[in-house]
Amino acid sequence: MAKDMTLLWGSGSPPCWRVQIALEEKNLQGYNQKLLSFEKGEHKSKEVLEINPRGQLPAFKHGKIILNESYAACLYLENQFKSQGTQLIPEGAAEVGLMYQLIFEAQPLAQKIGEVLYYNWKVPEGERHDSAVQRNKEALKEEMKIWEGHLQGCGDFLVGKSFSLADVIIFPVFAYFIRNGGSEERYPNVAAYYKKLRDRPSIKKTWPPTWIDGPGMGTLKDI
Amino acid sequence: MTSSGFPGCQSAPAVPAHMAKSMSLLWGAGSPPCWRVMITLEEKRLQGYKRKLLSFQKGEHKSQEVLEVNPRGQLPAFRHGDVVVNESTAACLYLENRFQSQGNRLIPDSPAEQALVFQRMMEGLTLTDRLNSVIYYDLLVPEEERHDSALKRSKETLSTELQLWEGYLQNVAAGSYLAGPFSLADVVVYPNVAFAFRFGLSAGRFPKLAKYYSLLKERPSIKASWPPQWMSSRQGYDVLKDL
Repeated sequence: MAKDMTLLWGSGSPPCWRVQIALEEKNLQGYNQKLLSFEKGEHKSKEVLEINPRGQLPAFKHGKIILNESYAACLYLENQFKSQGTQLIPEGAAEVGLMYQLIFEAQPLAQKIGEVLYYNWKVPEGERHDSAVQRNKEALKEEMKIWEGHLQGCGDFLVGKSFSLADVIIFPVFAYFIRNGGSEERYPNVAAYYKKLRDRPSIKKTWPPTWIDGPGMGTLKDI
Repeated sequence: MTSSGFPGCQSAPAVPAHMAKSMSLLWGAGSPPCWRVMITLEEKRLQGYKRKLLSFQKGEHKSQEVLEVNPRGQLPAFRHGDVVVNESTAACLYLENRFQSQGNRLIPDSPAEQALVFQRMMEGLTLTDRLNSVIYYDLLVPEEERHDSALKRSKETLSTELQLWEGYLQNVAAGSYLAGPFSLADVVVYPNVAFAFRFGLSAGRFPKLAKYYSLLKERPSIKASWPPQWMSSRQGYDVLKDL
């Protein structure tokens, strides 16, 4: 089963990391995988474009089935392999509702991190404004405060008492935030959640290889 | 429980009877996200839910009534008993999960079809962003920061995106939509397509999208929930006509 699966991925990319965590949690180790370099532009290579015309990673195949959206791949893996590995979608209505709510709330979170981190890459020089940079930073600060609130009084997981798709999808985003200088003092609940889950086997095993060499850039330290 | 009624991460009490009467939706006209939830409620035979139409123009999405359900002050704001799900795609997935065997199946079981539904559903959110970047450019970007070059780039990105969807719909026909039979992918994406045509997208240049649009216009769940009006854009209703 895992042998029919292939993942093209890049190190440090939360969307790629999610799929790797999901594969581990569903006991699908042994899948084919290839690490590509964003820096070298390998996400735009023919090999990727053949699976994902958008030239983005992750690019995931299961036999002839293609899933290039990380949420889609995670939902598919949980639905198709429900009875093996960790159950990632809870049973109760309140937990299911909260799980879906949080994973889609994570989209503005990831977007706002990107708006700050990649401003100069996304916006040509002639269109940049200090006011925009400020606005993006404020928006991310407000967003992080919301997530601090979501994690208030939480146990080890985002939803109820068990690891779920919410953790699969959102842990990598928090790790990315911290990796890029996000303050553990200003966001103690986020930091506590991060510290609790980083040693989970599926997460430890798939920790981005490029993060092991040393600290990241402190771009988000003022958020 | 926080004051917003949002249960946080602790287990919430069991949801009472699974009936539409315990559901309520605060919504705004012409909002694709609100429309998605309404289509899903129709498809799952959950008509009879409480609903209240609010005005974006009057800022009612920031009212106390909304903030109590959705602290982000956004619509839709959806409750089912004590369960609150404000993100539209999340609400649709939740409803399909809880009412799978009722009304129409929106997520097939078979691997290939299911994968395609999830894939197109998520790509639909990229389409949403790219549409908003153009149609609501003036709303999203303060006047001092606007550039013709930026809007031009957003339009080019949107055009490329729409051509991708035109390709996905090469074989569109009655009963054969984004992922075969009508599915959650169509629930998420169709409102965007209707939105695009409302704002001037050329049917001549996007014939497959136009066919998709007119085929599904008559679907009961879509007809029943068709927006009574669309929020206006400062750029007018023909902002997409040159794409």
